[in-house]
Amino acid sequence: MALTKKRLLELYCDMVSIRKFEEAVENYSKNGTIPGFIHLSIGQEAAQAGVVGALKKTDYKFPDHRGHGAICLCGTEKKRVMAEIFGKVDGINGGRGGSMHINDLSCRNMGFNGIQGSTVVTALGTAFASTYKKTDAVTAVFMGDGTLGEGTCHESMNMAATWKLPIIYCLLNNQYAISTHYTESHPQKQLATWADGYEVPNEVVDGNDIEAVVEAVERAAERARKGEGPTLLEFMTYRWQGHFSGDPAAYRPDGELEAWQQKCPINRSRKQLMEIHGCSGAELDELDARADAEIAEAVQFALDSPWPDPKNALKHVYATVQVEDWK
Amino acid sequence: MARKLSYAKAINEALHQEMEHDPSVFILGEDVARMGGDFGITQGIWHKWPDRARDTALSESAIIGLSVGSAVCGLRPVAELMFADFVTVCYDQLVNNAAKIHFMYGGEASCPIVVRAVTGSGIRCAYHHSQSIEPWLMNIPGLIIVAPATPYEAKGMLISAIRNNDPVVFLEHKLLYNRKGEVPVEPYEIELFKAEIERKGDDITIVATMRMLDLAHAAAKELENEGVGVEIIDPRTLFPLDKRTIIESVAKTGRLVVVQEGPKVMGFGAEIGAMVSEEIFEYLRAPIKRVTSLDVPIAFSPELEDYVNPTMDHVLAACRSVMSF
Repeated sequence: MALTKKRLLELYCDMVSIRKFEEAVENYSKNGTIPGFIHLSIGQEAAQAGVVGALKKTDYKFPDHRGHGAICLCGTEKKRVMAEIFGKVDGINGGRGGSMHINDLSCRNMGFNGIQGSTVVTALGTAFASTYKKTDAVTAVFMGDGTLGEGTCHESMNMAATWKLPIIYCLLNNQYAISTHYTESHPQKQLATWADGYEVPNEVVDGNDIEAVVEAVERAAERARKGEGPTLLEFMTYRWQGHFSGDPAAYRPDGELEAWQQKCPINRSRKQLMEIHGCSGAELDELDARADAEIAEAVQFALDSPWPDPKNALKHVYATVQVEDWK
Repeated sequence: MARKLSYAKAINEALHQEMEHDPSVFILGEDVARMGGDFGITQGIWHKWPDRARDTALSESAIIGLSVGSAVCGLRPVAELMFADFVTVCYDQLVNNAAKIHFMYGGEASCPIVVRAVTGSGIRCAYHHSQSIEPWLMNIPGLIIVAPATPYEAKGMLISAIRNNDPVVFLEHKLLYNRKGEVPVEPYEIELFKAEIERKGDDITIVATMRMLDLAHAAAKELENEGVGVEIIDPRTLFPLDKRTIIESVAKTGRLVVVQEGPKVMGFGAEIGAMVSEEIFEYLRAPIKRVTSLDVPIAFSPELEDYVNPTMDHVLAACRSVMSF
């Protein structure tokens, strides 16, 4: 069933806002304003927007390290996400986490994790809690083609399949784990088939087709809510940048990036909106400009926000113990 | 006469009572449900609460990962590591996940999990089932490491650990499982982060945990005949440590011997020794002594294993040495 014009427009705006957000992050990372390193998701917007867009606010989402876009769409104010990436006190996590560890329990963004494969088993817990408490919340865990090399993926899928836990494994296959192409580190032509060994339904999805992403996630969510267990969805996509901002990605063959840029998920939806749904270019440009303004505002908020009080480093280590400050 | 229970039964009773007390408590691990655990510690729980006792695949990462995720959702999992040595295969979940949850969520969620881990040497299981893992975890702010020595402590501290909102690694020494002692029938809590002064004395402070306390008490009796008063402290919670009780004791006695199962290098004895010399060096009348296992893997053959671990004679020798200053 095709998406309605209204829904497609919303998803288009979501994707554009991810693109603009990431471009701003890239600029402020390159000019040294953002501390540390960042992982950008330009080119992968459809897979992020589609997954989050197909879920309920009450569903548990575990974005991965390349997940600024997904977390903005979970419901956190973008300016507070931006401030977190800048390491400022108004960041959604007070500057404790930064780019790689952003979470917001109020919208069930359960948080990034800097360790590949770590949240794949944590996700068992939120899914288990849904069955224990008899709620209909499903758990979506983002992973990459590289993640699948971790042993935790085996443990997680084995347990989720045996216990029929409501999990959607959202594998964004962006082709490369840093520099290693997935076909050089995995025997399967399509990683989705990896789930066959666990008798877990799986699909290969065009990850740059927002409609296909949404529909696949909706099917998986329905199965999960009915108690039929996990699904593995492999979204075929591509990251336009290197692994982290600053990686020139010299390991990619000539022409590969350009070929994928032709399959830009945003242009694709734009075309659909114009050709099928009768939107005008000016109308879509206006939406793009709104996204620009929103991101500019988020950046200004992050720039204006003060640094955290250094003593905050001692807060929240334990629920029951205050850590000693001997400095 | 008060009722006596074994250390194993005391833990089992604590689990039953907490399952009864709080429906958010559940147990999971390898063979913990139907069979009641490899050491029988979880016996009877599955029969009463079949939905709240889960046998898992041999997947320690999944066991701890599931525990952490469910704890964030408000459940209180009690996971079993059949042998503490297996912490190596779920280390990421404890170190990078459980220990970081409260920090990461800025206090909006915590990680009230208990990981029961069967620790220590002495049952001829060799190097993969006999290690003392305390120091592997004591460098990780966010974790709590508990080491009960008696049935009374085991029950009370497990109940406290389950009710505590931080992740607790609850060490159970396999050689203590058959140890008997008085245990109240009703549920009770023993405060975490509080050391116990097991014996008063004025000349030497011995800090020891779990099985090593036996050596300390035996040495203390012997030294009493020589007119030397030994004060024995059981930290009970190894991390975060109750520094004050140890410091006050050593400030009084001026002499410290730490008796620790496990390799000397970077063991908790090193931390306690460094802490005391930093804080109250001027009160020390003798160098700090550590009595520990040798810096080797635990071997299988009884002759080999027994040679590696400390004995009462080693404790006596250390005490006489610090008295010679």
